[in-house]
Amino acid sequence: MPEPQIQIHNLTKTYRVPVRPEGLRASLGSLFRPAYNDVEAVVDVSFDVAAGARVGLIGPNGAGKTTTLKVLSGLLHPTSGQVRVAGFLPWERQPEYLRRISMVMGNKSQMLWDIPPLDSFRVLGEVYGVPPARFRRTLDELVALLDMEELLTKPVRNLSLGERMKCELTASLLYRPQVLFLDEPTLGLDVSMQLRLRRFLKEYNQHSGVTVLLTSHYMADVLALCPRVVLIHRGRVLYDGELNELARQLAPFKQLRLSLQVEKCNGAMPIPDGVEVIEQDRASLTLRVPRAEAPALTARLLQTLPVADLTIEDPPIEAVIDQIYSGAGA
Amino acid sequence: MKTRAGWALIRGLWLSWLQYRSFFFLLAFGWMIPPLIYLLVWSTAAGEGTIGGLSRGAFVAYYLVLILVNQVTYSQTNWTVGDLIRYGQMNRVLLRPLPPVYDALASEFAGKVVFLAFDLPVVALLALILRPELEWTWANGLAFLPALVLAWGLRFLWGYWLALLAFWATRADALLALQDALVFLLAGQVAPVALLPGFLQTLAKILPFRYMVAFPVEILTGQLDLAGMQTGFAFQAGWLSVAAGLYLLLWRAGLRRYTAVGG
Repeated sequence: MPEPQIQIHNLTKTYRVPVRPEGLRASLGSLFRPAYNDVEAVVDVSFDVAAGARVGLIGPNGAGKTTTLKVLSGLLHPTSGQVRVAGFLPWERQPEYLRRISMVMGNKSQMLWDIPPLDSFRVLGEVYGVPPARFRRTLDELVALLDMEELLTKPVRNLSLGERMKCELTASLLYRPQVLFLDEPTLGLDVSMQLRLRRFLKEYNQHSGVTVLLTSHYMADVLALCPRVVLIHRGRVLYDGELNELARQLAPFKQLRLSLQVEKCNGAMPIPDGVEVIEQDRASLTLRVPRAEAPALTARLLQTLPVADLTIEDPPIEAVIDQIYSGAGA
Repeated sequence: MKTRAGWALIRGLWLSWLQYRSFFFLLAFGWMIPPLIYLLVWSTAAGEGTIGGLSRGAFVAYYLVLILVNQVTYSQTNWTVGDLIRYGQMNRVLLRPLPPVYDALASEFAGKVVFLAFDLPVVALLALILRPELEWTWANGLAFLPALVLAWGLRFLWGYWLALLAFWATRADALLALQDALVFLLAGQVAPVALLPGFLQTLAKILPFRYMVAFPVEILTGQLDLAGMQTGFAFQAGWLSVAAGLYLLLWRAGLRRYTAVGG
């Protein structure tokens, strides 16, 4: 079995953050005796990613996703732990390494603002030492995949956010990196542009074999793109596996949807203990029940309520994630 | 390969700057104004006589050369280093397979060409109107060139290490304004260093600022004898090594801090 392309072993990153007390007097004091807090951004994180895989790194704001990506791309030095990407130690930032990886940040641009993308691409091609013939070929291919021929000659500042993201992706793939880190690539994009980019990333990954590690707050991104997710919460890995399995493992609930026979409803609807009502109207009920007690509670509900139809399902992935983020599942 | 990459960076900057060329010409014009004012003040004061051995025509020559040297040595790049660090844009630079100093050098070179494209015709026109008197010697001309290159290196690196303090302090570029003020006072702009009062003159000759602008100008306009040049070169090289040392030290320490704290 080949060695994984990304290997992370017990990665810990602690930031030292200066504490600024309130008030002028205390602020002056802190000039002479600065106080610091240690903030653990990532604690003991371990996972591997095989070459050519697409993995989603998910978690709430401040979970440690971006910190992890920054360590992997060589922008941050870890506090402890071992990390290897494509056989390199990222933070040594050897040119050979930097030519193999690419980092796209949804909120930072690598395009030159005032000139058309084509000119920026040419500069990047030279910076990465791409031979002219290969540069042309790669650019043509990316432009066709992203359908952005008409953007090439407009100044970047005149492009929409979505058009700019197409340019960012092209810029980041021009030199055919082996590993692509994407930090919130669909941030702020409209639904159809999100769909386009997802389709592009999937297609590109399948035919080029680039390894994709992406963070996103949009579950749709992750659902569409990543067969595997790593869920980070408060700097620790809570889950690593298939997205569909996540609900089963981390949400100790099932969701029951009941359609009721309206004519038999006489107002009172006895709901057993341990059952949480999520939605209710005259003709239907959506309930959340503890996973283990689902069969027993369902049986009781069937006896006490005029049920016309019933479905039992895992809660939607967003609801599971929300529970974990807000602490209920952790 | 690296040369091609550097050249590509320069071309990219030129393309960007072409979008707001008037801004650069206004900048260049702004930098020209203070020496121009002192040119008029001193050449008028000299009248038909001399001040400190300098005639009206000699003052004109001195300040016209100074305008060009000031432009060539001024490092506009340093003003952007702090922003790169503060706004996390350093990430983009660090992720490229090129030493980050390439970006700074490309910007310096691109800038010189643009500014000189404006300055050279203006200075030539002023020379036609104001009739400078310059005693050209090959020896002075030959000594001028290395002094000019070293002056640029010193001014660039001195500003760069000050700008790198942005790794630790938020508004380190205030120090760049201080550097500009000291250059204005001690590097031959307010008055040629030879005309400064005793204490200031000694200070000017010891501190690095004279060697950023005034020194090459004094060489070309024949104000220095051989001993003066030798001492000057020694000071210039010495300060340049100090600036280079501080730059390396702060860059390494700063980068260590940046990669510990994150941009």
